[in-house]
Amino acid sequence: MSRATSVAVQVENLTKVYGSGHTAVTALSSANLVVHAGELVAVLGPSGSGKTTLLSAIAGIIDPSSGRIAVGGSQVYDDGWRVRDLRRFRREHLGFIFQSQNLIPFLTARENVLIALQIRDTTGTRAIRAAQDLLDYLGVGERQHHLPEQLSGGEQQRVAIARALANAPEVILADEPTAALDTERGRSVMTLFRQVAREKNSAVICVTHDERMIEGFDRVYRVRDGLVFDDRTPGGVDAKAGANGERTF
Amino acid sequence: MNLAIRDIRRHPAPFAISSLGIGLLLTLVLSYAGIYNGFVYEALALINQTGADLWVVQRDTRGPFAEQSRLPEDVRYRIAIVPGVAVASPIVFYTIQRVWKGRPLRIAVVGYDLHTGVGGPRQIVAGRAISQAHYEMVADQKLKMPLGTKLRLGLHDYTVVGLTHGIVGSGGDPVAFFSLADAQEIQFVKDNWAIRNQRQRSLDAYTRALPTQPTLAAVLAGNFADNPDLHTVNAIVVRLDPGIRPESVAAQIDRWEHFTTHTAEQQKQLMLAGSVALARRQTALFRFVLSITAAVIIAQIIYTMTLQKLRSIALLKLIGAPNRTIVGLVLQESLALGLISYGIALAIGSQTYDLWPRRVVVLTADKLNLLAVVLGICVVASIMGVRRALRVEAGTALTG
Repeated sequence: MSRATSVAVQVENLTKVYGSGHTAVTALSSANLVVHAGELVAVLGPSGSGKTTLLSAIAGIIDPSSGRIAVGGSQVYDDGWRVRDLRRFRREHLGFIFQSQNLIPFLTARENVLIALQIRDTTGTRAIRAAQDLLDYLGVGERQHHLPEQLSGGEQQRVAIARALANAPEVILADEPTAALDTERGRSVMTLFRQVAREKNSAVICVTHDERMIEGFDRVYRVRDGLVFDDRTPGGVDAKAGANGERTF
Repeated sequence: MNLAIRDIRRHPAPFAISSLGIGLLLTLVLSYAGIYNGFVYEALALINQTGADLWVVQRDTRGPFAEQSRLPEDVRYRIAIVPGVAVASPIVFYTIQRVWKGRPLRIAVVGYDLHTGVGGPRQIVAGRAISQAHYEMVADQKLKMPLGTKLRLGLHDYTVVGLTHGIVGSGGDPVAFFSLADAQEIQFVKDNWAIRNQRQRSLDAYTRALPTQPTLAAVLAGNFADNPDLHTVNAIVVRLDPGIRPESVAAQIDRWEHFTTHTAEQQKQLMLAGSVALARRQTALFRFVLSITAAVIIAQIIYTMTLQKLRSIALLKLIGAPNRTIVGLVLQESLALGLISYGIALAIGSQTYDLWPRRVVVLTADKLNLLAVVLGICVVASIMGVRRALRVEAGTALTG
């Protein structure tokens, strides 16, 4: 199977319970999710619904209570087992973008991209050239020597996207990437995500509670009270879903 | 790409202030080493500058610097004929305190035989050596007496004809060289008022004793002359013929002449084992306490700097940075802080030590020792910060 149609992320029966006994809180309950390479997928839901827990589990940041997660063919978590070197897994398979303070404040825009390359042992002029190309690609090449505090919110997000792309990840995880932006800049970032998904063939999973942005996504998952639902088309409920809209892939 | 340098570059002012503070602290650490070396230098300065092979002193004493010693001056002739002795020359050494131009003036007086020159100034930095038997002196620059200055000591004025540099007595007082006779006179001859008072006291005692105690009166009558013995010296310094072992000549003098003889090395050890040894322990304790203080402050600063960038560290972990990148960031900042502070300490020290009241001698070994201590401190001090940094969860970058 070519990468264009391959499964980039597969989540099966994922459950995460925080605490135990009377204080136990189920953040995710038997969640299922599949994202293909080159797909732009939204995970939509209100605050506290379990979106970030889902994202963190996919990233290997938290241990799920049960279930299976595979990213790019690698099992991140498999009913009690998780990949031993999570940081290597993240730098080889994942790119991250989130709401704000995305960038390391004491590094310039170019250095923020360079550090991601350096972590993958790409150094020297090759790394500098790659960083410049990425910043140019995202339209912030002229701002490469500026510190994050000297960039606008939209520019910071573009630099963050450039950094996320630096290791050519199979999956980009974005947590509320447009929350700190106005509508126009938010749409601009979404356009970039679409462009990245198409041109770089990366799967982009974008957690958001911003309903304004969902029209640009290929698919939308909704999270409510720890349950994950799939909208085949934005605004509607998948016809294959069960009576309560829950769907297992 | 060096993350530590970039972090420092973003907030240079707090880092510079921290470096300056620690630099001043390290200046003190370095200074205490220098002060101890200064004690050693001062304790040995006269011994070294005299260049004697042997010091002959009063029997069973550790003179003339560590302990008082008195010898008849003519002993020099008996010492001079001991086989192996090239030159035997008397020396007088004592400290006086006077008021000069409204300020207290302490002088380590050295009287030496102008004919042999042994014990006299080896290097004159301005003016000339003493060329007259009386009323001339060579002063160290630290006394701040320009050439031509006339200093009243006892019954006479002494003119500064030459200057030396860095010659001090064992107590750190600047040295002034006089001819042997002048030094003896300054030490023993009283001024006219003192002589008149002494004579009056002697006369009173004689008058009271004469009617009833004629024998005692006869003894007291001898005091009228009040003629002190000027021909007393503190030591005879000896230079040996080439190839002669100092120990063998010293043993001979001790056995046959009934004096105590110290070789130059023994004389130095006498000085170092006395007050200098106490000073060494004292300064070592201060250095230890200051080093611990510096370590605590560096640890605190590094820990605070680490706390300020926990989110960045979490972000680095999230994007897959290995632990060595995180540890390197904290450790390199700690080392940079230490090395810059060390540089500041060296710079401040080199520019100010000449202004200190007593000599500060910082040796290359002391600088290298401090560098090693600073590097060690930085590594230890960064442990707290490293532990905190490694405990940060990558998820902190997502959840804030």
